[in-house]
Amino acid sequence: MPTSNVASSAATEPASRSLWSLGWQRLKRDRVGYVSLWVVVFFMVLGAAVWSGLLARGWDQEVGNPNTAPMWAAQEKLQHTGTSDGMEGATGPIIRLTPAEDPIADMLAAAEHNKSKYQTMEAPKTDALILGSDQRGRSVFEKVLQGTGTSMLVGIFGALLSVALGTVLGAFAGYFGGKTDDFLMWFYSVFTSVPDMLLLLAFAAVAGRGFTTLILVLSFTSWTGVFRLVRAEYMKQRSREYVQAADAIGASHLSRMFVHILPNISHLLLVQFSLLLVGLIKYEVILSFLGFGVGVKQVSWGSILGEVPTELMQGYWWQLLGVVIMMSTLVTAVSMLTDALRDALDPKVK
Amino acid sequence: MTDREILLSVRDLKVGFRLEDGGRFEALKGINFDIPRNRTVALVGESGSGKSVTSMAIMRLLPEFGCEIDAASEILFEGKNLLKATTGEIRSLRGRDITMIFQEPMTSLNPVFTVGDQIAETLIVHAGLGRAAAAARAVELLREVGLPEPEKRARAYPHQLSGGQQQRVMIAIAVACEPKLLIADEPTTALDVTIQKQILELLANLQKKHGMSVLFITHDLGVVGEFADEVIVMRHGVIREQGSSRQVFEAPQDAYTRALMACRPALAHRPERLAVIDDFLQPEPYVPPPDRARGYAPEDRTVLDVQDLCVNFDIREGLFRKRKFEAVKNVSFKLAKGRTLGIVGESGSGKTTVGLTLMRLRQAASGKALFDGKDILAMNPREFKDYKRRIQIIFQNPYASLNPRFTVGSILTEPLRLHGIGSNQAEREKIVRELLDRVGLPSRAMGKYAHEFSGGQRQRIAIARCLTLKPEILICDESVSALDVSVQAQVLNLLQDLQDEFKLSYLFISHDLAVVKHISDQVMVMNKGEVVEQADSDQIYRAPACDYTRRLLGSIPRGWTPAADAA
Amino acid sequence: MLGYIIRRLWQMIPTLFGVMLLVFVVFNWVGGDPSYILAGKRLSPDALAAIRAQLGLDQSLPAQFWLFVKQVAHLDFGLSWSLQQPVTRILAERIGPSLTLTGTLLVVELCAALPIAVLVAYYRAKLIDRVVTIVCTVAMSVSSLVYIIVGQYVLAYQADWFPVQGWYDDSLLHSWLVFVPLPLILGLAVSLAPDVRFYRSFVVEELQQDYVRTARAKGLSERVVLFKHVLRNALIPVVTTVASSLPFLVLGSMLLERFFGIPGMGNELLAAVDKSDFPIIKAITITIAVATMVFNLLADVLYKWIDPRVELK
Repeated sequence: MPTSNVASSAATEPASRSLWSLGWQRLKRDRVGYVSLWVVVFFMVLGAAVWSGLLARGWDQEVGNPNTAPMWAAQEKLQHTGTSDGMEGATGPIIRLTPAEDPIADMLAAAEHNKSKYQTMEAPKTDALILGSDQRGRSVFEKVLQGTGTSMLVGIFGALLSVALGTVLGAFAGYFGGKTDDFLMWFYSVFTSVPDMLLLLAFAAVAGRGFTTLILVLSFTSWTGVFRLVRAEYMKQRSREYVQAADAIGASHLSRMFVHILPNISHLLLVQFSLLLVGLIKYEVILSFLGFGVGVKQVSWGSILGEVPTELMQGYWWQLLGVVIMMSTLVTAVSMLTDALRDALDPKVK
Repeated sequence: MTDREILLSVRDLKVGFRLEDGGRFEALKGINFDIPRNRTVALVGESGSGKSVTSMAIMRLLPEFGCEIDAASEILFEGKNLLKATTGEIRSLRGRDITMIFQEPMTSLNPVFTVGDQIAETLIVHAGLGRAAAAARAVELLREVGLPEPEKRARAYPHQLSGGQQQRVMIAIAVACEPKLLIADEPTTALDVTIQKQILELLANLQKKHGMSVLFITHDLGVVGEFADEVIVMRHGVIREQGSSRQVFEAPQDAYTRALMACRPALAHRPERLAVIDDFLQPEPYVPPPDRARGYAPEDRTVLDVQDLCVNFDIREGLFRKRKFEAVKNVSFKLAKGRTLGIVGESGSGKTTVGLTLMRLRQAASGKALFDGKDILAMNPREFKDYKRRIQIIFQNPYASLNPRFTVGSILTEPLRLHGIGSNQAEREKIVRELLDRVGLPSRAMGKYAHEFSGGQRQRIAIARCLTLKPEILICDESVSALDVSVQAQVLNLLQDLQDEFKLSYLFISHDLAVVKHISDQVMVMNKGEVVEQADSDQIYRAPACDYTRRLLGSIPRGWTPAADAA
Repeated sequence: MLGYIIRRLWQMIPTLFGVMLLVFVVFNWVGGDPSYILAGKRLSPDALAAIRAQLGLDQSLPAQFWLFVKQVAHLDFGLSWSLQQPVTRILAERIGPSLTLTGTLLVVELCAALPIAVLVAYYRAKLIDRVVTIVCTVAMSVSSLVYIIVGQYVLAYQADWFPVQGWYDDSLLHSWLVFVPLPLILGLAVSLAPDVRFYRSFVVEELQQDYVRTARAKGLSERVVLFKHVLRNALIPVVTTVASSLPFLVLGSMLLERFFGIPGMGNELLAAVDKSDFPIIKAITITIAVATMVFNLLADVLYKWIDPRVELK
């Protein structure tokens, strides 16, 4: 009798669900959140493709004529190709010297001779670029893609490192309390006494440029928020009955901290991660804009924006457009996903 | 009972809630009842019965979103359908003609206004009093609800008052404008038993004095017997029985009502097993089992001998100063094998701290706890590890004591793994399946998560977790307090069965005197960290030796007594 | 109260010590030997040694740290490496312009964001609430740089409604009238959206509390419930948020100052980072850290004042 009973009821009962899969169900029902999720996933894939060299590898190739407008803005393209090469359109006779008068005639001849060698190396330049080209003729589309890769890299790894740092320190401070907490709180108060941006600049001033330093600098300044949250959660959770029950059955401190409590705050960490992702991407843009971010041979949305103020005055708006579209799509998607995650993963809502 | 003039009548009230997965939950399935003028009507039901939804529907306080009231439903107050009334009309009724008090007085008062202001606000809005007159009347009201030094209390903020005082303030707000109907939604559930008695008396007095009707909502039939004129019993959104108190208490028609009355432990007698709802839903009539004798016997072997236990907490005051708070003072007791020692006390009595300290979840300041002659409080953690498995604890809140991220299977195999019981996973799972069967859960529960079980089932899982380690002592810290009465009876029966089978010793900590009386051989009464009385349970309930115990026992609601009606 | 304040000031000492340690570690240890930066083109062993002796770099690390602590205690951060002027004097000149902009910004922003947030919360879950929430989310997604770049280009270069950049060194009032409006507008554009969302969340959070149900059960109108009962509670987190953003007053808005040529602290900091002018960065960091601690104390005192539940310990 028991076997048949179990078998029949197992068939009719819905499958058992963990809190994570329940959260996933709720997220799927939230249309905005679900779409945002896929946009974020798309950006992550994009970032990975850029980093593995599948996409936008040739972003620094000068494939087009300088400052070409996007191909769909054809009218402006005509205007600009007319004026941009100002030297060629200069009027008036060009006075030429005879070879005998010219002291560098020999060199010129040699240069003229060699010119053909270099010219063959160069691919024919094009005006048909989806987002036009920058002042050196690089494709803005590829540049922006490359910038997306940079932002995703710096954002994801910076946020991961911040969350890891904040979680470990916060867990120890909140769980053990006492002297450990006093020390870590002192450490925390030191870092929070200096505003983020100031701390970033101070680090940037001594640390030089490049991805690794950027990620380290960003996470050294951004762990404090996670720390405060995790510490408070651990203080709350350590006296919860399920943790005391774990103590009663003989689970060790580390087991209670990371096997029992950590999964119960993991949804908060995910939300923190996506908040930090947005925050760090914005910081990276500002730092790179100011010239303290990525290296000179690397490109990011911030360094592209750095070229924009002067370009705007000449009427070249497409770099700005490319960055704004990509960045606001990503940031909006992550923000909306964060809101959706917060609702979907809240264990109180059942 | 001749002048039964109807004040409010509920007709075919149907309320449904839209669930987020697109489903619908019918909270009320078409209920009908009347509240006569100048009467107290008790609405009794367990969780999920729809009793609170009913009160919220009357106040029109149900959430705007996700909640649907059937178009044909009517709530007639003095002939006017409240469900069709405009917001303005409702607003002028609320707080003046119909008022309400809630279960949690602390959160129900606005923390940033003085209680005087909060009372005066109602008077200004509804009675048209000026600011000064309202303030003066607020003090009068505070005096009427029995707050000492009302002038001073009027200037206090809610957090500066005790729970009972806060509830008195809520009552003062509710009676400020001489309402016709006062709805009290579990007003004493969050309060200690002595405070509960005071609040109930206050409500009964105010009802008579103001000639108002009271709709008293509670889960506890015992509470309402003394003062309710009429009783309505609800279950799963349906009214099971309604009638005068005499009728419901003396000749209950419905099986569920009868079950509800029988499954609550009583002070008068102690059955072998408590009745459960199922007993009454059988075709054959329920025969109460014989009573069980309780008490320590001279030949009992003592397993745990606690001597002069003291526990202190440090309360931080300022940067360097600390104040010592003595949570437990010189507590001594002996726990015998196969017996139950009950610890009763109100909040702040230190009863829970005693349990946690014996588990070494709190640090003892001094004293000994001899377990088989060895002091477990003086052991280092390594030595204690072997003893740890022999003494286990079941907590109050079944929702908080199981890790929500673990399956039941891993919750139950973890202690086995930690203590090296069973040589491999398969063997451990076999042990767990047997245990689940023992506590009355199917073995397919192993793959599920705690949130998929009801409160009573979760408490069974918690019990099974303790049993994995085959403990000798089980500390039950308010383990049945959060459960509905019918479920409470089942869990108490299970605990009793396990004690009989495994000769477990229980340290049963509870604020509920009736439950403690039912399950304990010896009872220890605690107040403000000290033991005030300790004796065999029959002895203590029959002839309490100390004033405090007498006061506690006197506060237990007497329930329905035929004499009450005659007087 | 006084005892509390004294105790809190006393507690600041270890934190300040920590900040000094942090700054010291960053600049004297991670930052490497600054004498190369200072020596510039005149790179000779003698010159380097002279600079090292002047900066105290020839001493041991603890001795150098002690030197730094003494500097901070005397509020004397030495000479700026690039300008060869006393750092303290430079910073004293920079605070005025920063405050002029950020002070105005703070006041205007609070006056704009709070009413909008309450209004939106009042109509929560209705159309206007959803529209404002979405607009805020999208507005927040655009980098603050874009607002400033485009704003400056469109409103100053193209439309010529405002001066592109500049500052009158002699008169703050004059500068305030002429040069502050455009940065102010752009600053608002950047910060209004996040603040509205933030304040709205406070109000919505309070709306879920039990006392709101009590207030409704008393028969109060929704307006009174919201503006009397809820707002008073929601103001508590608002005040603390504002108080904790006060250090930003002193630091100034770096980007706005740089774009609009306002000679404030933020601009000075950027210039200093550009030129590796460590004394200025160190001085600004210490100053802001002290300001932060003082403002935090202020926030806690304010907190006590508006929330009767808080006991100052």
